[in-house]
Amino acid sequence: MARIDAPAKVAGTMAFTADVRRPGLCYAAVVRSPYPHARIRLIDAASARRLDGVVAVVTGRDLPDRTYGRAVRDIPALAKEEVRYVGERVVAVVAETRAAAERAASRVRIEYDPQPAVLDPESALADDAPRVHAQAWAYPGAVVGPDDPPNLQSRVHLTFGGSVEEGLQKAAAIVDAVYTTPAGQHGYLEPQACLAEIDREGRMHLWIPNKSPYRLREQLAAYFDVDPALIEIHPVAIGGDFGGKGSPMDAPLCLELARLVGRPVLLQLRYNEDLTATESRHAGRIRVRVGADVQGRLTALAVDALFNGGAYAGYKPAKTAELLGVREAGGAYRIPALELTARIAYTHTLPGGHMRSPGSPQVVFAVESALDELAAALGIDPVELRRRNLLTTGEVDAHGIQAVEHRGHKTLEAALAALRPRPVPAGWRYGRGIAIYNRATFPGSTSLRLTREADGRVTVVIPLPETGTGSHTVVQRTVAQALGIPEASVTVVQGSTRELPYDDGVGGSRVTAAIGVAVAQALEAWAAQGHTGTVEVVVRPEGVPRVTSYCVEVAQVAVDPETGQVAVLELLAAVDVAQIVNPLAHQIQLEGGLAMGYGFSVMEDLAVREGQVTAATLGDFKIPSAQDVPPLQVVLVPGGQGLGFGNTKGVGELTNVPTAAAIANAVAQAVGVRIRDLPISAERVYQHLVRVPSAGPKEVAL
Amino acid sequence: MKREIHYELNGNPVTQEVTPETLLLDAVRQWTTAPKEACGVGVCGACTVLVNDQPVSSCLYLAALVDGQTVWTADGLVQRFPRLAQSFVEHEGLQCGICTPGQFTAACALLLENPHPDEATIRHYMAGNLCRCTGYAAIVRSIHGAV
Repeated sequence: MARIDAPAKVAGTMAFTADVRRPGLCYAAVVRSPYPHARIRLIDAASARRLDGVVAVVTGRDLPDRTYGRAVRDIPALAKEEVRYVGERVVAVVAETRAAAERAASRVRIEYDPQPAVLDPESALADDAPRVHAQAWAYPGAVVGPDDPPNLQSRVHLTFGGSVEEGLQKAAAIVDAVYTTPAGQHGYLEPQACLAEIDREGRMHLWIPNKSPYRLREQLAAYFDVDPALIEIHPVAIGGDFGGKGSPMDAPLCLELARLVGRPVLLQLRYNEDLTATESRHAGRIRVRVGADVQGRLTALAVDALFNGGAYAGYKPAKTAELLGVREAGGAYRIPALELTARIAYTHTLPGGHMRSPGSPQVVFAVESALDELAAALGIDPVELRRRNLLTTGEVDAHGIQAVEHRGHKTLEAALAALRPRPVPAGWRYGRGIAIYNRATFPGSTSLRLTREADGRVTVVIPLPETGTGSHTVVQRTVAQALGIPEASVTVVQGSTRELPYDDGVGGSRVTAAIGVAVAQALEAWAAQGHTGTVEVVVRPEGVPRVTSYCVEVAQVAVDPETGQVAVLELLAAVDVAQIVNPLAHQIQLEGGLAMGYGFSVMEDLAVREGQVTAATLGDFKIPSAQDVPPLQVVLVPGGQGLGFGNTKGVGELTNVPTAAAIANAVAQAVGVRIRDLPISAERVYQHLVRVPSAGPKEVAL
Repeated sequence: MKREIHYELNGNPVTQEVTPETLLLDAVRQWTTAPKEACGVGVCGACTVLVNDQPVSSCLYLAALVDGQTVWTADGLVQRFPRLAQSFVEHEGLQCGICTPGQFTAACALLLENPHPDEATIRHYMAGNLCRCTGYAAIVRSIHGAV
């Protein structure tokens, strides 16, 4: 049976936030900072206020002194005295139409006193750097103190096993190299939007494409200092997430505006605002030191990552304000000494947030590239090097955790068995590269309610939004299978936040597994009452066995030695899976991940220059089109052990992660140049080729 | 400076007041939610509609230009191209759904021009309709499945 949301999505009748209309609705537009760092000297809104249709012009001074965030609460709804990045909200205009709001916004005159800015994380952490926040440690949820380096957002330092320095000393070969990844954007096609309304009883209502509505409710309750029960988040379809639809974004501002004007307010960002001013992928600079003995057995791995956190820390949900992907470095391998260091710095650039497996694409690019460099130094085949170090079932990983099984070897061999060489254009050089990623599935907390209706049908009320993965269909199918009834007899309803106790939100590839765990519990409770009436269950994350998914990617490339152009001939992903609820949706998740990994590897760069995003439209920030995406091959390796009723494990953040290293390793094999900086553009490859006398073209004056 | 225009939307006569700068996207969205505003600069295809059966980016097209013309959007096209619509459902040529009406509309235009496109033709024709979710293989399979 097909996805339950498919017909309405094809016809365009599914309601997204920008499709919702409320009585008395008015529209907002935002005036944003043109400076990375400046003091606001004067705001003159008189001529804007006089325009037809303008309801209100609101500045930071009109709002109470409060800040919001997912963990660290450091974000103001509107800048008050100081702006901290190009694109920061300074003034909001509310009007009868969007056009009137935008016209009035263009009439607001703001005078600034530009201040010295810090634009990269290295200089931000220097002792004499200008401070992005005068007292960053004073914000609620801050994880730094007054004695920390200026502009530190967060720091993680973890060591496991023996001494890394000793491990590197006794290695037969080591690699010590720095890899960089640029800032990026999620590239969802639905720009951020929010409709806020306050009813006569003072309850706050939101229609917003937010993938973790119960957490959003808590974040807003903290901001407004109210009971979360006063806030209701209504279900709407989410037009792409990839991590970017997880923060409060403009909800605090829209609620403030709705309160001030006494009417519902819709703010729908223009796409250039979304690219330049909303949460982005953290640019990373990652130093890897890794060593192995003469047989190729790893002796130590040290990863030292520095990320650009931008102007606000509040877009990261971890209480530690870190990017948890750093902890996955080397996670597929037996490593006797492991050291992980990550620092995130405040800078006067757009804020960093979560993007599909946050931190992992950056760190896995670095570590899996370094492993190939190590293999070359040892004279060992890169595949063989990995074979000698992959964890096997029963082994404890470097963090001391025992997973129920390790299927890396099986997944690797499946990838190699499926690989068929692709034809190469005449005169181009062929290369293929491999990279491996291993990710754990954490189902987290959720809740759901099952009801047997009078006519025998079953209604399932769930807290989870549909971000596009097909999760509502997964609920329908899982419940139907569990009860042995037709899928058509199961109705799935996403409740508003008033309906159910809690859910962690969509993220961390958790949804299918969480649904499986919740359905298993619900069935148990329901059986006890004879499969009649209503049962509501709350799932907590305790006591869940550690299951992981391996993903082995092989990239085949052809490189033009004259120009440096890289053609990816095929991306193959072998994926370690348990049971699959919806094979087609599962396949498309994996294909979509590969396409996103491809974009990250060879195309995408937000091009932040002097603090300003210069790739400010989708014509400049190029994401892959149907013609760009290379042939994709997905190889499933069934038989793994999963979680919950459906025996499933996560799939959403696998194939996008190892792609960049697989392509970089393939390019290195093809033309002998090692690209340590993403994206792997023709220009970059060319610049390396001209430095290798025998490999490539002569440099030509341009 | 408002002016009344008359056009046919999904086979039905429509009369609407527009100004010279009113975009077709905003005009049509008074009646239907099918075309979506995304990039706003004509590169992503989420706002694709058919004007006289030609695909246009309605975010770059003036509403005044459709006076006396015919306009089709995805919610109407599912009736005209039921086989293609069903193929998008069966092959799950969609995930989040925000680009889907535009993908479907562009695919209708492709089949009007070329009822039997091969994969390379499909990918070339559909390059103006971005999708961040699926990686496109499912969309190509959906179109192929209706050929």
